[in-house]
Amino acid sequence: MICYPCGLHVLLVMSSSHTKDSSFLGGRIPPEIESMSKYLKDVDQELFRKILKAVVSALEGKDCREVMRSIAESSAVPEEKLSHIVAGMYRVLTEAVHIPSASLKQEAFKEDLRELRIPEDFITDFASVVFGNRRAALETAAAQHDPHLPTIEDFRWRVDVAISTSSLARALQPSVLMQMKLSDGSLQRFEVPVSKFQELRYNVALILKEMNDLEKRSILKIQD
Amino acid sequence: MAADAEATKSLSGLLNGIAQKVYYNNEEITEELLKSELYPELSQDEFTALHEKMKALLKSIATADMDHGQLDAFLTAQTRKQGGGGVSAEQAAALSRFWKSQRVRVRESLLAQSRWEPGLRGLSWRVDLQTAASRGGTASHGGPVALMELELGRAGQESEFVCLEFDEAKVNQVLKKMADIQESIDSIVHRT
Repeated sequence: MICYPCGLHVLLVMSSSHTKDSSFLGGRIPPEIESMSKYLKDVDQELFRKILKAVVSALEGKDCREVMRSIAESSAVPEEKLSHIVAGMYRVLTEAVHIPSASLKQEAFKEDLRELRIPEDFITDFASVVFGNRRAALETAAAQHDPHLPTIEDFRWRVDVAISTSSLARALQPSVLMQMKLSDGSLQRFEVPVSKFQELRYNVALILKEMNDLEKRSILKIQD
Repeated sequence: MAADAEATKSLSGLLNGIAQKVYYNNEEITEELLKSELYPELSQDEFTALHEKMKALLKSIATADMDHGQLDAFLTAQTRKQGGGGVSAEQAAALSRFWKSQRVRVRESLLAQSRWEPGLRGLSWRVDLQTAASRGGTASHGGPVALMELELGRAGQESEFVCLEFDEAKVNQVLKKMADIQESIDSIVHRT
């Protein structure tokens, strides 16, 4: 149970969490959040907001090394403390976005942060990210890391007519050559006889229809 | 009459046997098998001559992909030939019958001989809704996802499978390309 230096604190937090529904952070407070709550005392709101903005862009997949460097250079807070704060804020946001918005109540989220003795102003800022209009963007960015099959990045085609071949004097047969570049970097090239092409086109149209129907009927409430 | 019917049967057996061997890659059919099954009474030389003649005629017909009129003219010319190179009326009739039933298939097999890229053999698909993932959260912001499996393969080789994922926008894009391809095919087919 005591697996990192602040283990004692973890035990305390765990015992207090028996009295209420579990924290959005789970049974154990992640160590980087522990450290963050310790060091945030030295941070004013202006600096906090700067860091929060940078962390949110990092979560959205943007490169924010430059921003971070300039924050570190201009701030009075030592770099080591800053890195604990950044890591902790990053963890707070990923954990919060991780939980479906329907299951995480804003009040519970704030209460959990209050227990870590995070200043009230910062809690409000955290909540505005987690429950505000940035949430959709953060979820979309997180979805990029879900397991996926490769997708088509580039699709080129060519229609040929074989006029004459070594075994057929007058072939005059159209065929389609397709080349697909996939998101896993592979290249697929294959020939599609006209009859197969009709089958392919029909099925793609059918897929699109299915997808449209699915959205229209909004059978998102799947029951088991 | 019975002997004639027997001869016709042997002849069409021979033509089908040659087609199996030459065009449909059926390696079980050999010249020896054809001789012993269809022409046990002929000498080896006689059978070889007949076999080679029919093979050459079929090749001429198949390579030119003769239509009905062309085949008629070709066979008429062959029956008028003097000497051993000619074709009997029975042989002409058997060739004509054979070609009527096998033309499409033989043509398809010949076309495949000059196809080197893997071909699309089949496809299967399904449409899913992503409901959750390891990062937690519901994927309610994402629409349905289409998974498609393409079966590709070169002639005589085992299939390879390519699995792809599409969102609705991607399916729409691909469908538009398909319409372009169709238009391109139509423009050629109408012109010829």
